This record gives sequence, structure tokens and C-alpha cells, in this order.
Amino acid sequence: MYFAYTPAQEALRREVRAFIREQVTPEVLADRNLLKPIESGELRPSGKNGPRMHALYRAIGERGWLGIAYPKEYGGQGGDRLSQFIVEEEFLRAGVNIGLSGSGAPAILAAGTEEQKRWFIPRLIRREVSFCLGFTEPHAGADLANLRCRATPTGDGYVINGQKIYTTSAHWATHIYLMARTDPTVPKHEGISIFLIPMDTPGITVRPLWTIQNSPLAPHDTTYGEARTNETFFDDVRVPKTALLGEENKGWGVAAAALNLDRVGAWRYLMSIRRDEDIVNWLKEQPRGQGALADNDAVRDRVADLWTEAQVCRLMTMRSMSIVQRGGHFTYEGSAEKVWAPEHGVRTTEAITQILGPYAQLLSTSPHAIEEGVFAHNVMGSFQSGVNHGSVQIMRDQVARRGLGLPSPRRARAAASSASSATPATPAAPAASN
Amino acid sequence: MDVLLDEEQQMVRDAARAFLEGECTTKLVRQMETDPAGYAPQLWRKAADLGWQGLCLPEQYGGSALPLVYLGLVLQEVGRAIAPLPLLSTVGAALAIADAGSDALRADVLPAVVSGERILTWATSEDAAWASPNRIRTTAVADGDSFVINGTKLFVDNFVAADQCLVACRTGDAADGESGLSLFLVDTNTPGIAERSLVTTAKDQQSEVVFSDVRVPASRLVGTLGDGWPVIERMLDRACALLCTQMLGAARKDAELAIDYAKMREAFGQPIGAFQSVQHMCADMIIWIDGGELLTFEALWRMDEGLPYQVEVSQAKSFCNEKCEASVRNAQIIHGGIGFMMEFDLHLWFRRVSAWTMRLGTTYEHRARIAHALLDEPGTVMLGRAVPVQPETIDANAALAA
Repeated sequence: MYFAYTPAQEALRREVRAFIREQVTPEVLADRNLLKPIESGELRPSGKNGPRMHALYRAIGERGWLGIAYPKEYGGQGGDRLSQFIVEEEFLRAGVNIGLSGSGAPAILAAGTEEQKRWFIPRLIRREVSFCLGFTEPHAGADLANLRCRATPTGDGYVINGQKIYTTSAHWATHIYLMARTDPTVPKHEGISIFLIPMDTPGITVRPLWTIQNSPLAPHDTTYGEARTNETFFDDVRVPKTALLGEENKGWGVAAAALNLDRVGAWRYLMSIRRDEDIVNWLKEQPRGQGALADNDAVRDRVADLWTEAQVCRLMTMRSMSIVQRGGHFTYEGSAEKVWAPEHGVRTTEAITQILGPYAQLLSTSPHAIEEGVFAHNVMGSFQSGVNHGSVQIMRDQVARRGLGLPSPRRARAAASSASSATPATPAAPAASN
Repeated sequence: MDVLLDEEQQMVRDAARAFLEGECTTKLVRQMETDPAGYAPQLWRKAADLGWQGLCLPEQYGGSALPLVYLGLVLQEVGRAIAPLPLLSTVGAALAIADAGSDALRADVLPAVVSGERILTWATSEDAAWASPNRIRTTAVADGDSFVINGTKLFVDNFVAADQCLVACRTGDAADGESGLSLFLVDTNTPGIAERSLVTTAKDQQSEVVFSDVRVPASRLVGTLGDGWPVIERMLDRACALLCTQMLGAARKDAELAIDYAKMREAFGQPIGAFQSVQHMCADMIIWIDGGELLTFEALWRMDEGLPYQVEVSQAKSFCNEKCEASVRNAQIIHGGIGFMMEFDLHLWFRRVSAWTMRLGTTYEHRARIAHALLDEPGTVMLGRAVPVQPETIDANAALAA
């Protein structure tokens, strides 16, 4: 048990901070996610960075700070997971995402062929290649294994037909990490495969879906700030056999393991706790006395409560890191973190609305908006973190069944119905009338 | 950074668990609820044979001088077994004597604690529910080579079992505040002491203790005359973090009982544990207890490392208060009617965890301390860096937040 970073890790953090102070200037940050006019002429984030950001990533790469925990032979540094976490945390705090969360890299490393690893991982680390996630479909969200998108074997490859939804970043990603059905004749989890497909493959169409963060645009610092996601359509998309990740029909296991690793890390952690720091620091900056919010006992109690909850977010992240660092696997710890942290983020977001009152409804372009409207924009998206990457309800199922060994409802129902077929059916209990 | 137990720590925990599973039955727990001393002397002696009382005491007095984290692991198992042992009050007071007692006092008390011959406790609270120095009114007045104590203490753990008690008294002119407080080690059989047992939900031993012209030799002063508050505060913070481990151990065992029950109990033709509503209650219980454990062991670890720890202790206690209470309440609900029955054991855990949430600082009291550190001290806060903000990180945090 050791609740601190090593001196070497602390030194790394200082080094990264010094670099950030020098190189991550407002001009560089203005080059993030450049705006581009859409058909109506309105400006929208394009997902593309300008040349200053590209230069920044190159400079960060030259320091050896990209993909620290990835093996050297695939373009990483062969370092430890915690050092990677520290560097990612510092850059994310400065507004620059250098992490590989949701990138597909963990899955490719775990299940890819040697050729796939050698091609994809160095490029993912250098950010020359990026994936959008092609999992969810209109009829398969929480029940992902119910997906319909078909990849039909053709002998030398596959032909893909179907629709994906909430493919965030599909409009700028170079590749899609696609989950599709390769065998419709077997139980649903057993006929699924994963494909790595370039987005410029003929037959792929991307259509924007605008979120409620879109008008006016959320400030960069918004925790839950995606203005755009997409629908992605596949019409007779032909891919070679080499596009397959892992074995055919074994895609469910490949995806599950990678999703678990994607749920933890600096990105998820900061998303959950940034607003706790913000509200405390904002309260401290206001003049004291005469009805100051920082002197209100109810506000003080709530802020201390949220701060404590945020510490649990931090410590659960550290627990996940400790497990990964020891080379272990999650039983339920990743799922537990994915319940606690997003729900905490929501509690903080909502508590802030009641601390700031009507100021917390003022969006980015409004007069009197606090901190560019970040608190108001957060209200519009915080609940989303309890839904994406596996809803908190699914995560609780996983804690209960994998962690605590509670029975699957489906199996219990099946057992109950086979038992009751032998005996007269029991009438359903009448609904309470009050 | 590795927040998991290492091998040695796992061994200590497993050994304590195995010992108590063998020695501490719920029958014994029930017997001690009506016992006038409220603890099992045989079990106490065996605990001493295992070295529990001396786990964190200095080696020169026969202790093992291990970090507090180890004591936390043992007390977590004591909580799991809800073992009727006056361990927390004894080690809490003994550690304060080890911190601040004179050499003569340490040499007299600590070996006797290590061997299990002497049981200790402390008496700080008075009429106020909260442990505030402002509310300490009991006086100790110098008279020759002694001090004469007058006043009334409340919520004194294990006073009926204890041989000696650390009593927080006002020795200075100030009527309240942190200054002018002193700590004395008083024999519980000194003339002038009247004890009245409280009847608690935990059915453990807590007392009101009235001191009427109780004479204690000046040599029994622990720490500096008039400057006792830092010693008292440290004792209470340490005890508070250790009480959290006890609560967590009990709450986890209680949750496990509910989870086992949910797997076995059938309704509507299936185990109730197959209903998602029940599964999600169970998942929450484990998430809460895990969270409390992480906070608590971080606080203990920081004490061991000599780092600031008060905010961490308050985080742990305020969180454990709410979440352990909610967890044992969930366990009662999952059990339905049977959990309310005297003959069924579940309430043994429920009643204790519930009582422990009210001791050594309520949720509101601890949050007030956190809020003070967050809001009333200078500097930009950053999660993962100490609060109050340490001088060396003030600029760095501000630059980052800008």
C-alpha cells in the first residue's frame, strides 16, 4: 500500500508542467478542433487541428511522452502505466488530449496480428491514425450483442451492410473500429466480429447528428462537450480478410476486454472531477462576507461532500491503475469505477446549479455567463456520461454478477419457467390498488 | 502508487480473520451485550498473545512498532467479527501516551497494555455531541503534587472495563478554546468517580463519568500542561480513522450476509438476487464500502508517512458515516422481515455500524472541517494534491487552473 507517486514520477510531472507552460500557449490551443462552416453557413467544430497543434504533438512525441506504457517495438516507450497516466492527466488539464482512450489501441495490442500491431499502434500513438467507434446501432445500445450490421464472408474478404449510430468523430477519424455480425445462425454473442476499416472505403456514408451542446457552442473546457456525433451507413462495403481483428466470431470477447480498459484512465477521471475543483476555486475567488456563497453553511457542507466523493473517483482510478500495473485483470473494479465516477459528475453538475442559481443556466454567448458558461453547458451533457461506454445500469449488473456472483436474471427466469411447467401456473399477483 | 494490499498486509488481515472466525461467535457477541464489563477477557488475552494491543506501540515497550495501516487491517477484522474487545479505546489511548507521555508513564503503562493486563480509554466529550475543544469544561486544578478534577464526561467507551482513562481537562484560565487544555491519565477506581452506563443501540459499553474532587498525581499529566489539545486532537483523529476501519469491516460482512441471503431466498419463483433492483442495491453497497476503504487507508497511510491527514480523516469518516449506514440499511431491506427479528443475527452488525456512525465526529462536523480547509485557506485547490493547499504547490496549481 503506497498512496503517492515515486520521486521519478513526481519529477516527470514537473517536467511535463514546465513543457506545458512553455509550449501550450493560447495560440496553440486556438488551433484545436478548428471551426468550419456547415451547409447553412454556421460554424461548427471540424474535429481537425491546425498546424500549431500538429507541431505540438510532434514535440510531445519527441519527448517520449506519447504511448508511454506501450511496447517499444510498436512505437511506445515500454514504460509504466502510472507515468502514462500522469502525463495524460497534465496534458488534459491543459486542454490537450494525448491519451489513447477509445482509440482501439488496447484491443489491437491484445488481439491484433503482428502486422496490425506494427501498422496501427505506432500511427495511433503519433496520432496519424484515429478510430471512431462503430458499436451502437439504432436497435442495439445497451443490448449491444443484438446488433444487425452484417459482414458477410465472400471468400477473399467480407461485404458489410448496415447502420451504426453515435459514431462520434466519424467525420474526421481515419478508421472505424466496427462490430458486425458474421454469423447470424448462432447465439448472438457468438456470431460477432471486429473489423478495422479505413473511413475512405467506398460505400461508407457519414451523416451528422447534432447534440444539445451545439447551439451556442460549448466552451472548450466543457466536460461533456461533444457538439456533433454521427450516423454511419455501410452499403456493400468490401473489406479484405486482413481487416478482421482477432478471430472471426470471437469479436465479443475482444471488444469487452478493450472496453474495460478504455473505461479507466486520466480522461474518465478528469471528466468526473474537474468541476469539483472549478466550483471550489470559483467560490474562493469571490469576495467574502455579506452573504458570500463560500460562507453559506449548506454550500460548504455540499462542497465538502462532493470533494470527498471526488476523492473516491481518484482512488478508484488509482485502484484500477494498481491492478493494471500489477498485471492483473478487473473482476468488477473497472465497472465499479464506471458507476461511481459518472454519477458523481452528475451530482456535482447538478449541485453547482443550485449553488450558482440562475447564473448556472447562462450559456457561452450570454451576458453574465460564469466561466464562459461552462457550468451551464455541463448541465446539458453530464448525464450522458452515465450512458456512454456502458450505462451505469449495465455496470451495476456487472458488479453484481461478476463481482458478487449474483445470478443472471435470464438464467433465473429460464430455471423458474422450466420448474413451473411441471406444476400448475401461479396467477400473477394483483397490482396494488392504492 | 499502489493502493492494493501487499502480501504481508494480506497475511495480517487473513490471519486476523481466521482467528476471529474461530474464536468469536455471534453467541459470544450476544452474551457480551448483557455482560457488565461488555468484553470477553479470554478473547482479550488471546488478542494480546497475537500482539494486537502492541501492534503499533514502540518496540522498547514490547510492541511491534508497525505502521497504523496494520492496526487498521486488524480493527477491520475486529469490526467484521463485531468482536467484543476494548481494542480501539485501549490502543487509541496507549498511542497518545506513546506520543506524549513521560518516560516513566510510558514505562508503566505501555508494557501492561502490550501484555493485555491493562485496558484503557479516553474521556473527552461532554454535553456537546461534537468533539470541540470549546465544549470541554471539566477542570483540573493544581493542588500540591496533584491535580483535582471536577466535571462530567459523556460517551466514554469501555469505562466499566478500563483500568485507566485519559481525561481532557481545562487547566488554564480560558473558559473555552484550544488553549489551556491538559490530558491526565486517571485510574478508573480513584475515589470521587461515579459511572453511569448508557444504553446504546450498539449495546456496547459507553458511560457517563462524573468526576467529583478526583485527585490525580501531577506525574499523570500526558503532554505539556495547558497545551494538551494537539495531543487530544491527534488521538481523536487517529481513533476516528481506526473506527472507520471497524465500521467498514462490519459493513462489508453485513453486506456479504445480504448478498448470500439474496442468492438463497426465493420469491416469484427465482432467487431475489436475480432481480436487478436487488442486484443494484448490492452493487452499490460494495462500491460504497470499497470507496470508504480507499479513503480510510489513505488517511492512515498519510499518518504513517508524517503527511497532513486531517482532511483525509474527515473525508473517510463523513463518507463512511453515510455509506456504511446506507449499506447496513440496504442489507436489512434485502432481508425483509427476518432482519428485524431478535433471534436473527443481522441486527448485531446493523446496530453497531449505526452507532459507530454517530461517534468521533458526525458527517456534518467532518464536512465542516473539509470545507474550512477547502474554502478558508489560501491557494487554488487541485484534486490529488493536499488540502489545505501546501505552500510549495500554491503557484503550480494556480498556473494550471489559469
